[in-house]
This record gives sequence, C-alpha cells and structure tokens, in this order.
Amino acid sequence: MTAVPLTPVRRWILRTQSAHRERGATAGNIYFTVLFIAVVGGMLHKQLAVVFWPTHPNASRLAAASLVPILFGLLYLALRRFGPLALSRPAAAWLLPAPVSRRSLLLPSLRLTAIVAAIIGALAGIAIVGHGAPRTLDGSEVALLASAAGLVGIALLLVALAAQAGGRWGDRLDAVVSLLLAAGLAGLVADATGNHPVAATGWPTTGTLVPLVGAVALVVALLFALAVRGLARTPNERILEAAKTAGTLFDSAFGMEPSFLTDMIERRYWAHRNLRSVRLPARVPVLVGQDLLLVARRRRRLLWLLLAAALPVLLTSAPHWLIGVAILLGALMAASTAGGNVKTDAGNPMLLRLLGLSSRDAILQRMWVPGVLAALWSALALGLLSGLDDLPPGPWWALGLTLGPVGAVAAVRRARVGFVRNELLPLDTPMGTLSTGPLVNALVGPDALLLGIPALVAIAQANQLSWLTVLVQATVGVLGARAYLAGTTATDRVELHANR
Amino acid sequence: MDHPAVEVKGLHVSYGSTPVLVDVSLTVPAGTGVCVTGENGIGKSTLLRCVSSLQQPDDGQILVFGGTPGATPEFWRAVVTTVEPPTWYPGLTVREHAELVCRAHGQDPGDAGIEEALERFGLAGHADAIPPSLSSGQKQRLTLAVALLRPSSLLILDEPEQRLDPDGRAEVAALLVEYVADGGSLLMASHDDAFAEASGAVLTTMESLSAVAP
Repeated sequence: MTAVPLTPVRRWILRTQSAHRERGATAGNIYFTVLFIAVVGGMLHKQLAVVFWPTHPNASRLAAASLVPILFGLLYLALRRFGPLALSRPAAAWLLPAPVSRRSLLLPSLRLTAIVAAIIGALAGIAIVGHGAPRTLDGSEVALLASAAGLVGIALLLVALAAQAGGRWGDRLDAVVSLLLAAGLAGLVADATGNHPVAATGWPTTGTLVPLVGAVALVVALLFALAVRGLARTPNERILEAAKTAGTLFDSAFGMEPSFLTDMIERRYWAHRNLRSVRLPARVPVLVGQDLLLVARRRRRLLWLLLAAALPVLLTSAPHWLIGVAILLGALMAASTAGGNVKTDAGNPMLLRLLGLSSRDAILQRMWVPGVLAALWSALALGLLSGLDDLPPGPWWALGLTLGPVGAVAAVRRARVGFVRNELLPLDTPMGTLSTGPLVNALVGPDALLLGIPALVAIAQANQLSWLTVLVQATVGVLGARAYLAGTTATDRVELHANR
Repeated sequence: MDHPAVEVKGLHVSYGSTPVLVDVSLTVPAGTGVCVTGENGIGKSTLLRCVSSLQQPDDGQILVFGGTPGATPEFWRAVVTTVEPPTWYPGLTVREHAELVCRAHGQDPGDAGIEEALERFGLAGHADAIPPSLSSGQKQRLTLAVALLRPSSLLILDEPEQRLDPDGRAEVAALLVEYVADGGSLLMASHDDAFAEASGAVLTTMESLSAVAP
C-alpha cells in the first residue's frame, strides 16, 4: 500500500484551524508565554539560584552522586508515564488509522520530546554541577557537562521509546529505575545523617570532557537515527494510550481539574493489575475489610511510604516547623493510600445505596485504615528523627501515633472533595486574576491538618517533649475526628453529600 | 404488609417548559410485578427515578410501602434500583463486589450463593476481573446479579434487558419470576414486551397511567 504524503495533510489541518482562530492569536499566546516566564523568572531568580547555582557548592560527594539517579530516574519515569511518544487526540483518532507515513506522523512528537528531555537533562546537570562542583570550573567545562547531561536526557528518551515499543522488559526496567531512585533518596538521607565534607574536587577538565562528550553525542545521534528508522514499528495501542494521557493532561490543565489526571492514573494502574479474588477479612467491619484489601494490593506504594518516612531527615538543617509540616503532609499521604473507596462513594453514591449503610457508619469505617496508616507512618518518621538525635528527648513515636485521626480526617475530607468549583469568584491581584476554585479545592483536606497544630508546635519549639503534649494532641485529634463525623455525616442519610 | 409496594398519585414532572409526567398514577401491589412500557422519552425513567427518590417531582404523592421514599438507610435496605449508571470500587474484583454487598447486609458470603449467581449470569469466568474491564453487557449482568443477591423487598429496574443477549434475557426473566414468587415486589420499565411477559410482570403503558390523554 502506498502511503499518502503527510505534510500536505498537516498543512491543510493547520490552515483550516487557523482560519477559525482570531488574527494574531498564536503570536499573542507566544508573547504571553514569554512574558510569563520572564516575570516569574524575575520574581523567583533568587530561589532559582538556590536550586541550580548556590553561591558556594554545598553537596558532599555522596549527595551529588545521589542526585544523579534521583533527577535522571525521575526524568525517565516521567517519560515512561507520558508515552514518551504521543499524538494529540484528534491526530490519534483521524491520522493514526489513515494511510499516511507512520514515521512522518510520529516524528514531530519525537522531536518535541527530545528537545524537552534534553532541556530537563541539561537543567538537572547544571543543578548537580552547581551543588557539587568547585567554582573554579570555567564556562566551557560547565557547558560541556550540561551538554552531556542533555545528551543523557535524550538517551533516556530513546530507552523509554524502545520500552514503549517493546515487551515486558520495559516494566522490569521501570522497577530497576525505581530502585535506583530509592537508592538515591537513601543516599541523600545517609548524607543528611552523617557529617560529610563538601567535596568540590576531582571534576574532569576540558581536555578529558571534550572527547567524552563527543563520543556520547556520536552514540546518541546514532541511536536517534536508528530510533527514527524504527519509529513506524511502535505499536498502535501504545500510541493510543499515550494520546489518551496527553489528552487528559490537557483536559486537566485547561479545565483546571487535576482529578481527571489522577483518576486516569488510578484506572490505568488497576487495569494493568492481575487480581485474584479473595475472601474479605471477616473479623472487621465490612468496609474496613475492603480498605485493608485495597491497601494490601498496593504493596509498592506501601514500600515507598516506608522509605519516605526517612525523608524528613533531609530537613534537619531547615527550620524545625518545616519538619512539622512535612510530618503532617506525610501523614496525609500515608492515609490517602486507602482513599480510593471514599472517592468512589463521593462521586456516585450508587454503591453506598446498594450497601444500605448510613453515611455515618460508612465514613466511620472508612476512617480506620487511613488512621492506622497515618499513625504508623508518623510514628516511624518521628521515631527515626528522634533516634538520630535530630529532636530533643521525649516520646516522639507516641506523638506520631496520635496523628492517626488527624491524617484520617484529612485524607477522607480530601477524597470527598469532588470537582473544582470554577464558578467561585476570581480574585483580582496586582499580579493578575487569580481563580479561587482550584485554590479552594487544593486546600480541602490539607486544611484538616490544622488538627495537628499541637504536634506542629511541639516539633517547631524543639523543647523536650512531655506526655502532656502527646495527650493534648491525642485529645484534639479524636475530638476533631468526632466533630468531622458528626458535622458531615448523618445516621438517617446514605449519601455522603447532604445538599440533595 | 397492608400497604402496596408502590403508590403514586397525581405525579407531575416537567423539564423546563416541557411536561414529561402529567397527573400520573400507579400502584404496584406488594408481592407483584409491574412493567411500564412506552416509547423513548415518554417518562418511564423519570417515573422510576421519582419512585426511587432520586428525583424530586414537581407535584404529586409517592409512597413506597406506605412511607415517603428518602435517602435513609432503611429505605435503601428495602429497595434496590438500577436506574442510575453503575460505578465500581477500585481494585475490587467482580466476585469481591458481590461479596462486599452481601456482607454489608449481614449475609454469610458462603451461604449467599455468590458462585451460583455469577454462574447463572455467565460471569463465573470473569470472577477475578475488575468490573471496568467487562463489556457493557457483562456490567449490566453484574449489576443485576448483585441487585438480586442482596435481600430487598422492592426491585426498581430500568430496562434490565438492555445489552443482554437472548439467553441472558431468559435467565434474568426467570430470576425475576423467582424474586416475585418469593414475596418481592417489582417495578420495571422495558422496551421488550416478550421479556416483560416472561418475567411475570403486569404490562402497562405510560399513556394508561396518565389521567390526561397526551
């Protein structure tokens, strides 16, 4: 079959689309984007400097080495999550099944992704050099290192591309990269616990870098050419899946509705799992049993939570209130592991009606597993901090346990939030109009963490912890959970929302 | 029980300026089945939604077992409806959905006949699948299987024959006959007269329920 040349088709689509647009709309969009980047860059240049190029190198060799798998691992996993090869939804619907050249159909997407991967890779490289290298490096060396990092970014894209077209090894590689990422995080934590000297020596000179970067560039270019040749072999279903991801991403961004994206990720996760029916645990209330089953089926997430309990250690040099905030947010994240069921019930009460439980019973049962998860996670995180002598003496693990109800209320409240209310009045600020809907939506859930203020104050003050504080936090948490239950549920109503 | 399962008097519902139900009255005696037929858009689903308390009528009286239908747990322990589009819990298989509903109603999952029900609805081979991965017909079968598994006094079904193949229709009709024979009451809307007759329900047209001739 002869392929129809694609360029005239694309040009016709572009011309027809632009006929419907206002004159100068594209130029206006570009103008506003550039202006936005300039304004935000100008506002945040100090913060950006801290992230990418601090005044003095401040990372030990271990920390700098740990940043490599973290930053590039995240880049690779993000590339895998979004395709990396994607088409717009209209192109996937109309051009993918058409007899056009597959290579020229997919090439623009590859080109764009390669540019993005190279930029992100180079930025990661600059950040690592900025934190770890001496300021004696001259411009050409930094540029060479950044280019090498950009090339690594493209290489990762090519690996992700092969994984998109290939079989099961892609999933295994994802697991390996996740492990590397975890190892990198562990390295950072180890670095924060010990007293490692800032090692700003041993960086290669231009003489060694030029042939190295040249060789890498040659290999990447060769692989890129091979990838372009094999582009047409990418299976349709993978491209369709990536097109759906891209479409949902745009829906989320334009509709300012992040739940589109999170729901899609959740649906896809379960669609790829092979489950085997088991008996629900019989000794606990029925919905608690269901939540337990859901959590038991998310073992990988539990493992990540376990590792994440060590992350507050990274903040020991920061102000102590920041550790407190991190602990509270971590408790919310841990509790949210079991949040999918409440979210389903909040979105459509059909199953709750079928179950015939009152909203009070349902939410009470649904708070147990999140509460236990939040309690265990906070106890572990605070216990670790106290074990490493980053906190003054006291029963910190017990304070962590008392955060269980706080995490449970926050997670359940978050899961019940529903769609962003874009009809809320926008706020006029000197920086432009701020739409309040997404802001309010983002705060529903985390706002319940205010119940953890006693713990936050105790961590921020960094005084010896007394059992009285633990008791106060336990009381506030339990009373808050009871008040939440009494205020938002009823014994004579099945639906979670009262406004019917 | 003395009260009829469903008693509707003088029901008025309109969408904007378009009246859909005008002075509609209907009685479903307890322990019997009634099937409402009629063309698309005549208000069958609206009537069922009102009886299920999922929609507020503009005017009229609705009683279910002598009481006002509402959002209470007691109402939903007596009534099962498939009027709404179904939704499913994440990470829960077909069989576990059935077990969850049975356990919530205090049934022992071993005695509730889950395996038999899945077998009869042709879902035994899909017990380990998650419901979103099923075909639309299989989802409909699962909804009906779960609705019939749990104890209830009144079934409100909106076109239960939809998306079912002929064997599935015959199977569902037989189960509905059994349900009514066991003392349950049934109110459904259908486009398939043969299915409605096979399910033992009394057929009535939407036109005959309205006091005002359209």
